[in-house]
Amino acid sequence: MGLAFALVIVRLLHLQVVERSRLTARAERQQEQVITLEPKRGTIFDRRGRELAVTLDVDSVYGVPSKVDNPRELATRLSRILREDPRMLERKLAGDKNFVWLSRKVDPSKAAKVKEFDSEEISLRSEMRRFYPKKALAGPLLGFTGVDNQGLEGIERAYDKLLRGASGWVLAEKDAKGRMVFPGGPGFQFKMPTPGNDLILTIDEVIQHISEKELDAVLLSSRAKGGVCIVMNPHTGEVLALSVRTNGAGRQAFNPNEPKRYKPAEWRNRAVTDAFEPGSIFKPILAAAALEERIVHPLERFDCRGGKIQLADRVIKDAGEHGVLTFSDVIAESSNVGTIKVALRLGKERFYKYVTAFGFGRKTGVDLPGEISGLLRDVRLWSGVTIGEVAIGQEIGVTPIQIAVAYSALANGGTMMTPYIVSEIVDREGKRGQKFIPRPLGRVISAETSAKVNTILQRVIEAGTGRNARLSGYTAAGKTGTAQKIDHKTGAYSKKEYVSSFAGFTPALSPKLVIVVMIDTPEGVIYGGSVAAPVFKAVAEQSLAYLQTPPDDVEGRMLLVAR
Amino acid sequence: MTTRAQNIGALVFERSKRGSLRLVLVVLLIVTSLLLYVGGKVRIMRLGYQIETLEREKLELERTNGSLRIEASSLAAPARIEEFATRKLGMVRPEKGDIVVVKRKGAPKR
Repeated sequence: MGLAFALVIVRLLHLQVVERSRLTARAERQQEQVITLEPKRGTIFDRRGRELAVTLDVDSVYGVPSKVDNPRELATRLSRILREDPRMLERKLAGDKNFVWLSRKVDPSKAAKVKEFDSEEISLRSEMRRFYPKKALAGPLLGFTGVDNQGLEGIERAYDKLLRGASGWVLAEKDAKGRMVFPGGPGFQFKMPTPGNDLILTIDEVIQHISEKELDAVLLSSRAKGGVCIVMNPHTGEVLALSVRTNGAGRQAFNPNEPKRYKPAEWRNRAVTDAFEPGSIFKPILAAAALEERIVHPLERFDCRGGKIQLADRVIKDAGEHGVLTFSDVIAESSNVGTIKVALRLGKERFYKYVTAFGFGRKTGVDLPGEISGLLRDVRLWSGVTIGEVAIGQEIGVTPIQIAVAYSALANGGTMMTPYIVSEIVDREGKRGQKFIPRPLGRVISAETSAKVNTILQRVIEAGTGRNARLSGYTAAGKTGTAQKIDHKTGAYSKKEYVSSFAGFTPALSPKLVIVVMIDTPEGVIYGGSVAAPVFKAVAEQSLAYLQTPPDDVEGRMLLVAR
Repeated sequence: MTTRAQNIGALVFERSKRGSLRLVLVVLLIVTSLLLYVGGKVRIMRLGYQIETLEREKLELERTNGSLRIEASSLAAPARIEEFATRKLGMVRPEKGDIVVVKRKGAPKR
């Protein structure tokens, strides 16, 4: 009896004194649980505060395989609700783990059905899910997030650190039934998560919609492979719309709510990641350089008869027959011969200086991931043909955003602006954290030269190759382009595949919008004036009306009433 | 006259009565403290459950609010509004002659 009592005492001492710290820690582990608190990812708004990307609490389904008796039966039942592969579910439920994700971020209807299970084997846990309420609108621009809310593409990736926020945690206690209890009081340990910042974009949802709709329409009618349409404020560099279609006509536009349904090529933002030969939309750069250097007058006449010009070992031809043209008409009629004659007079060194000053061959610095510099060979490596080729937009690779920036300088009086997409960062307390202001990069041409180029580009639309871009009620200036694509098999210019483009601005007299349209590989009619110019017209007319810009060209049937 | 023995007896009785009273008071104090302590703990637990329930309700309400916001936002998408206006309401874009530009006298030039 005495011995037994002594044993009990010894055991008691062992448990209470020797093993005390270890057992206390074990009890705490059983009773306490650290719960990670996910931060709420910031919202992305358009320039007028309309939501483009929001985060919402949703349920994720997890299983406790160690408590599952019949994985196959449970997997079959669950697969009907979750619409997941039953074999995959069975595999997950077959182990002896205490936690395994079965389906992340499920729809509320699915979560409600799983709740009805009310078992220890299957349960729900709240997680954050990203929603894009406007569906495919600005999809490749916004990008998307991964299952752990990390930004993977587009603005979501470029601004991931700011949008994401920081996780928090809470030390909760479990009661005898395993229910979570938050003890409160002075000993209550927690760290609240820091929500991510909100972003306000320069993008206008309505102009974005207009550009996407018109781009889709032309892709359908021309059966093209893809296209880009950029709308920009030439005075500030704010991008008002950036539409990208890379999946061809007929295929649904990239919807960031379901990124898994698309191939990587379909969410690529080709406005910044791909270079193309611009063709004739590059001619105004030569015109600006030549006029700035005063080596040509807009009314100087050039003999373009014969329609071809010999450059080193190559003959470059015009698309059509021209006579003697003024320099204005060389651009308006898009004569390769006339343009090359002016380029030769300018010389490669001076021309190269302007090409680089207009931002070609280097990144624009737009706040989007994956931007490339385009392709511009160093002037020391130019062959005898290169000066003529570059003047007409060949032997040079440009991104659509570079064209938009260069045309902005032509439109705004000669100042290069850095393009940008995010205008403001708003912190979690609703304070305006950081406001981005327009960043001029310096003057590239004088205001006088800019006005001369403006007049020439108005002529393109009034009487030249860009007649289809003529607007109702507004003046406009711009240039058409039809560039042969490189055939990757032969390495030579393709005779079947073209890039049709139009770049311009409106109203010409006080430019508010620069619009660049690029259509990749249209079928049938391939000319920029026929394929891309109508998109410019449609986007410009609708956007100016939406912006309530008063018409500045009241010819035709438009009525001007004076009171 | 009380005897000395009677006095001692009364004193002993008095002392033992006081001792018992003190013991009772101490026990009462301990019991009350324990009850208060346990009561407090139970109250904290109950409030903890209440907080949890309210947190859940709040979360649910926040979720509902979020879903409604997303729904409102998607219903206000320009593509949907345009389709609704053109297909269901039969609205059309204004043609050239439909637009009247009114210039007010003395209005600042834009």
